[in-house]
This record gives sequence, structure tokens and C-alpha cells, in this order.
Amino acid sequence: MRRFLLFRILASALTLLLASLAVFLMVRAVPGSIVETMMGQMGSTEGEAALRRFFGLDQPVYMQYIDWLSRVLTGDFGVSWRQGSPVLSLVFGAFIVSLQLALMVLVVSSLIGVPLGLLAGYLAGGVIDTIIQSFNVLFLATPVFWLALMLLFGVSALFHWSPPTIYASPGRSLSDNIVILLLPMLSLAFLQIAAYAQFVRQHVVEAMQQEYVRALKARGVPPKVILGKHVLRNILVPLITFMGLIFIQILGGVVVIESIFGLPGLGRLLVNALYARDFPVVQGALAMILVSAILINLLVDVLYHAIDPRLRT
Amino acid sequence: MKTLLDRARRNPALALGVAIAIIIGAAALFPGLFSQTSPLEIDMGRALQPPSTAHPFGTDHVGRDVYSRVVHGAGVTLGIVSGSLALSAIFGGLTGLFAGYLRGFSDLATGQFTGVILSFPPIFLGVMITGILGSSVANLVVAMAIIYFPLFVRVARSSTMVEASRSYTEAAQVLGAGDLRVIFRHLLPNVLPAVLTQYIILFPLALQIQAALGFLGLGVQPPTPDWGASLQESKDYVLFASWTAIFPGLALILSSLAVILIGRGLQSKN
Repeated sequence: MRRFLLFRILASALTLLLASLAVFLMVRAVPGSIVETMMGQMGSTEGEAALRRFFGLDQPVYMQYIDWLSRVLTGDFGVSWRQGSPVLSLVFGAFIVSLQLALMVLVVSSLIGVPLGLLAGYLAGGVIDTIIQSFNVLFLATPVFWLALMLLFGVSALFHWSPPTIYASPGRSLSDNIVILLLPMLSLAFLQIAAYAQFVRQHVVEAMQQEYVRALKARGVPPKVILGKHVLRNILVPLITFMGLIFIQILGGVVVIESIFGLPGLGRLLVNALYARDFPVVQGALAMILVSAILINLLVDVLYHAIDPRLRT
Repeated sequence: MKTLLDRARRNPALALGVAIAIIIGAAALFPGLFSQTSPLEIDMGRALQPPSTAHPFGTDHVGRDVYSRVVHGAGVTLGIVSGSLALSAIFGGLTGLFAGYLRGFSDLATGQFTGVILSFPPIFLGVMITGILGSSVANLVVAMAIIYFPLFVRVARSSTMVEASRSYTEAAQVLGAGDLRVIFRHLLPNVLPAVLTQYIILFPLALQIQAALGFLGLGVQPPTPDWGASLQESKDYVLFASWTAIFPGLALILSSLAVILIGRGLQSKN
């Protein structure tokens, strides 16, 4: 277990290093042009050279990367070109907003999607299964941001209500915070419920064919116990892997809908920074996403080794 | 093609998927058959009109016909998705073919490279590439081709490894066929079905990403009648002119739905 853990952490670190290099090179492909924009028409060669020195662009690219990386490793992501505030605090503050929403979606969709999948799998071929499967296909096809627009419209048409546009952190007012996050949470949850239900259904259908389920059935064990205790436990390992995937997917979805609801999350920060060409913030936001995606994958691997006794050495 | 129709007759869900796909495909290829109105003609005098006989899907904030924009958007949106996925399938498929056959260093290097791409959640990779390189159709296509490249590599690689261990490959090698001949003549035709299946599976996902990027303003730019871009423009009017958002969204849903149903129908045994 310890060797496995060490290996996984090293592998994750290597991926992170290469991915950070990719982000760096991509973003670095642009500042040259930024110097030109800043100099404009009146640019003198001396002025341009001074600016290049200022941005560190006179160094060879690998030196620039090493320099950037060593500063990032000490937590220095630089300063936003637009707002002048440290990138790390901007990115971290935004990340907390996105993370809260993503966790809410994860909990709600697991609590609804997994039982739906168990039910559909157990009743495979029946009417309820068909209804659940139609629901799945429909919501797998629906763009999350479109559902968000429709929910905004529907709620306003039916209840003459619109969510508040000014974000309140849970620390300031928990009830306001929940009210604000309600529609964004719903917009994202339907897709993930469908994804869960479909995934769990398939695994349950497979499990139902196996000897142990038939033996349980023959012994007269009630379906609730078979599903909730035995089948669920047997599909736990793939389910956890899937949860990791879902969580990363939710983080992606959060980014797309934040601007609709005016949530000051990571996605809005990233998209606005891209519009404003504020590259230190872009780099910081992408680094945050990468680290969290890689950490989630690592966590999934570790959990799955902890759960499955066959993988223990 | 014939088997597809045969199967559709026995599987109503598949038949529905094929029917929707045919209609949307026709709109993408021949928009003129469905709408004679221009998707670009601005008329502020008739802005934000609800659906009527003259404008079956209503008009948008500058008075353009929403129906015509949805019809003409099919070619733009679906063209970009199918084109970029095709690019991805060709490059990813070939890379997987070579990596799976040659193994060794090239395989390891490919694995590490695709691992890096896969460590980015897809939408972020799209946002990053189109956001930094600038939003244009070419950059959008490149971004989407890169996002799905690793998934084609994986499928082609594992399928190649299975096929390479079969006796027909060995026979070809024993008879003195070179690596390139084995790869293109013998392995390629056998790996192709797996790559095509992957294409169908990834299509709805790629469509969602394409639409999301358009919606974020990073994909196709207005006034091109791309569905995602149309939805971005409709964002501020959805509360009182919901038709500007409903119809481009329904077009996206129906397209995804058609491909999902076809994919499921082809994968099921009967």
C-alpha cells in the first residue's frame, strides 16, 4: 500500500509538471505580443528591450519556466495585471465558491442518481426502467447551460421569482447562500443524476446475473437488502472511480454556468481573465483546476485500494 | 447502411434516432430546403417578436428569424463537431495504431503525452486553447481535436494490441510483410470499427463542449448562426423572450439525442 501510494504520488507529480509546462508554454506564446501591444506605434527598440527584461522575456524559455515554477512552488503566482492583487488569493477565493457548488451537486446527484440506477437495474426491462432510461438519455443530451437558462425562465414565469444577483458567502448568510446556489445546483444535478443512474444500472444488471445474487434470491432475502447491502457493496469500487470522474465533470459544468448566475467562482474568474488577457490569473486558475483534478484522481485510486481487500498487499 | 436500417426496423429507439438524424442532417446540408429567410438579415422593427406564422420560432433581439438561424446553424455547429472529431479520429487513430503495434518507447511517450491532455477536464482545455489562441473557427476545431485525441489513441491502441496478437498478423509478418504493410493493410481495417464506435460515443459529448464554448463567447462568433453562440446572445433576453433560447437549445438536444440513440442501438445485440 505504501509503495503503491508513493508510486501514484510520483506519477501524479510528473503529470502535473508536464501539464504545468503545457500551460506555461501556451500562455508564454502570447506575452511577446503583449509587449508589442504595450509599445504600440511609438515603440522604440530600447523601450521594447526594457519591457522584455521586465517580463523576463529576454531569458531563454526553459529559464523562464524554471523561474516561474520555482516561484509557484513557494506559492507566488504573481499579481493580476488588471486588479493588482495577488493571484493566489483571487484564485483561492473563487475556487471555494466553485467547490461548494460542486460538492452540493455531487451529494445531491449521488443521493438521487444511485438509488434510481439500482431501481432501474433491478427492474431492468420493465416500465419503471424504461421511464428512468428515457430520463437518462434526455438529460444526457441536454446542455447544462441551456437547462440553467430554462430554469431561470421557468421559475420567473411560474413563481415570479428570480434568484438574487449578489452573491452571499455561506459565512455571511447561510440561507442567502443556499437560495443563490439552488438553481445552479439544479441545473447541474440533472445531468449528473442521469449519468449516475445509467452507470449504476449497467453494473446492477451485470451483478444480477451473478451467482451470489441468485443465491440470495433463492434464500428469500428481500430485494431491498440484496440491492442495498450486497449489490451496492460489490459495485462500490467502480462507483468510486465514477464519482471521481463525475466530480471533475461537475467542476467543468460549474465553470460554464457561473456567469449565468453571477457566481464569483473559478470559471467566471478564468473566462473574465481570458477576455481581459490577464495571463497571471489565467495561469493561476488553470493550475488550481489541474491540481484539483489530479488530486481527485489520486484520492480515487487511494480510496479504491483501501476499499477493495483484493488489492491490498 | 443496410444493416442499420434493418436494425432500426426492430429497435424503435434506434429508428427514432435515425429519423431525427436524417432530418437534422438534411437541414445541415441543404438549409435552403427548410428556410428561405436569411439567418443574418437584421430588422430592428421586428425585434423580439414571439413565434407567429411569418416567424415560426419568433425573432431575436435584432429582429433576425430564429427558425432560419436554427436551420442554418445545423451546418455550422454540426459541421464543426463532426470535422474536428474526424481530425481527432484520424490523428488519434493513427497514433494509437503505431503505438499499439510498435510498443516500446513510442508507446510510453504517447501514453505520457495523452496523460497530460487527459489531466485537464475537457471544458477547461477548450477554454484554455480558444481563450489564449483567440476565438476563431480554426482554433475551435484545433481545440476540440486536441481534447478528444487521447480518447481515440486509447481505443485504437488497445484494439491494435488485440489484433496484433492474432494469428493473421503473425502470418503476415512471417510472410515478410513490413511494419507499414502490416499496419495499413492488415491492422487498420480491423481497428477501424472500434475507432468509428468511439466517434459515435464522443459525438454528443463534443457537441456539448462546442456549444458550451460558443455560449462562453470563445467558440464561433456572432453573427454566425452557431447554436451555442445564438444561446449566448439570447442569454439576456431569456426572461421575456424565451423563444430565442428555447429553439437553439432544442436543436442541440435533438442532435445529441439522435446520436446517443443510434450509438445505443448499434451497441445493443439485437
